[in-house]
Amino acid sequence: MISIVLLAPIVFCLVLFFAKNKTLNNILINIYAILHLYCGICYFTKSQYLMNNQYFSLNPSNIIFYLILSVVFLAVAIYNNGYSKNLAFSDKKIMHYATMLLIFVLSMTGGILSNNLGLAWIFIEGTTLASAYLIYFNKTKHSIEAAWKYVFICSIGIALAFVGIILLTVAEGNLNSLNYIDLINNAQSFNHFWLNVSFVFILFGLGTKMGLAPVHFWLPDAHSEAPSPISALLSATLLNCAFLVILNVYKIMLVANCYTYARIVLLFMGFLSLFITAVFLYHTTNYKRMLAYSSIENMGILAIATALGGIAYYALIIHLIGHSLIKASYFLTSGNILELFETKRIKSVRALAQIDRKTAWLWIASFLGICAFPPSMLFVSEFLTVKAMLIQKHYVLCVLFLFLLTVILYAMAKVVIKMVFGEKSEEKSEIASKNLSKVTISMYVPQCVLLTLAFVLGIYLPQFLDIVIRSTIVG
Amino acid sequence: MENGFIILFGLTMLYLSATSRLIAHVKTIMVQGILLFLICATAFSHLPWYLIAFLTIETLVVKAILIPLFLNKVLKKTHSNRDTDANIAHFYCLLISSIILFGGFMLSVIEIPSLAMINPFCFGIALAVIIISLWLITIKHKILSNVIEFITMENGIFLLSLSVAKEMPMLVNIGVLLDVFIAIYILGLFVSQINTELGDMEVAHLSDLKDCEYND
Repeated sequence: MISIVLLAPIVFCLVLFFAKNKTLNNILINIYAILHLYCGICYFTKSQYLMNNQYFSLNPSNIIFYLILSVVFLAVAIYNNGYSKNLAFSDKKIMHYATMLLIFVLSMTGGILSNNLGLAWIFIEGTTLASAYLIYFNKTKHSIEAAWKYVFICSIGIALAFVGIILLTVAEGNLNSLNYIDLINNAQSFNHFWLNVSFVFILFGLGTKMGLAPVHFWLPDAHSEAPSPISALLSATLLNCAFLVILNVYKIMLVANCYTYARIVLLFMGFLSLFITAVFLYHTTNYKRMLAYSSIENMGILAIATALGGIAYYALIIHLIGHSLIKASYFLTSGNILELFETKRIKSVRALAQIDRKTAWLWIASFLGICAFPPSMLFVSEFLTVKAMLIQKHYVLCVLFLFLLTVILYAMAKVVIKMVFGEKSEEKSEIASKNLSKVTISMYVPQCVLLTLAFVLGIYLPQFLDIVIRSTIVG
Repeated sequence: MENGFIILFGLTMLYLSATSRLIAHVKTIMVQGILLFLICATAFSHLPWYLIAFLTIETLVVKAILIPLFLNKVLKKTHSNRDTDANIAHFYCLLISSIILFGGFMLSVIEIPSLAMINPFCFGIALAVIIISLWLITIKHKILSNVIEFITMENGIFLLSLSVAKEMPMLVNIGVLLDVFIAIYILGLFVSQINTELGDMEVAHLSDLKDCEYND
């Protein structure tokens, strides 16, 4: 099954290339999305069909990441059915879009399923190749700038992560393996000095891809300039892939009993991410950039929860799921707004509630979810993170954490309220009313499902998911 | 013999720091590619012949021929000659690079027990090359200069992987993928696209996206 998930997009790309049929684009993307999710379900029902191998496997430590990717990808695929109809490009270009989307998901899947650090690194590099084209898809001056920054900064990050992997091989002495299981089994014999140095390189290198401050500069540009379904995938799944690799290396640090330094660096980057978000959200004039900064904030929370440990590990996985579901919904809804108003400028979007009630409700619900308003999953995760800080007597950090979150909440609330309930501008509302027919039913349904999941899981976590979350922490 | 090539490789970075002519930068990249080929050919005698063949041929073809050729083509296409507006004067640039390179030499001379399993000379120089390249990226203004420094950084990383490769050629092979990555994207697509779109290759022109007001 795993081999099918990894081979199917390659076959589909070849079919798209040779068939050159416009209707096939969405059909194949949807088929792959269903196949992807089916493989995840097989993990729980027919695990003998998965056929894990020495390079790729679905195991307790990556199943959550895989499922998030599957669910978000399916939502994006459904949304894309409506979205792609509005794309005013040649058939060839739309075929390229579909092809690169499949390759992008393939490389993220490979990165998540990899058992080997080197292999995971290759797939992370692959995500840059595929997603750069998608960011550059609109071929405007701004999109080329965003894509250039993305490729250049991430390439440097990935190269530094490679230096980290090289140093890890120095730390491991005579082991000569990059397999996660081998690394964890032998971690206690590793050289602590080189392990610390390699972790810093890997954290800063892959932290670039994950969007952690101070190496986050590409993220607001790329997320705001990419087409909305791609922004949703970038924010809700790509950042998770990079985080999974960091988490796996951090587990090695834990087993090697060499985590003090790593915790400090993670805490520093986490709080810096929150601070940067709090400062920049106040000045942003573009609602897609606002969402991008919110991703930086949430990646910061993940880094903080990782560093705290204990009960915060549980919070970490809950946060990961919640953020991915809600942020994907948020970005997809921003796509609706962009279709309606034809601008990303906050100032130009007003009276959304009067123009398109459904989009307005989705926009508000996504905002409430991302700001950890109960019963959002993020409320549970942030509450547990605060609890972990209090248990560990990090009172100052706890106050700082809550203060920065409040500032971010205020900055976002201000924007969302103005956009939804602000005074109507005749010119803009005329454009929006004209574009209302462009937003089809498939551009509402995925967000509704994602938000329902995020809010229901905040109240009731099924036993199987609870077991999976606990096994992810242990695994 | 091998150490001589490594020293020469380190010294190429000093030349890169001291010159503003982009064509000279491209030639330096070519020299670095040839030196890496020679290092590969002399340092991996313990590996199976097919691995040595793969590494040396890849280094020679991609690093010493294809990438410089491609860069040369881009230079001609974009009519870029010099990067004159670096933030720091060449003299100081050379001075700082020399200090970093000296630091790299010192790292290889000092006996550190935890460095016992690697080639310290290779390691020290490679680290110096990576640091110099990263620093040069921050002070240069042309997009092409940034690309060239990124390639030298990648060459430094390749040398670093050679210094610790031990019995693990997979690590070096992964490093090789970085080359393909550069060749496909950074050079092939973006540099020429940026030139077409913006009409110039200044980094300053890529600063339109910001949080304050801009037209979208």
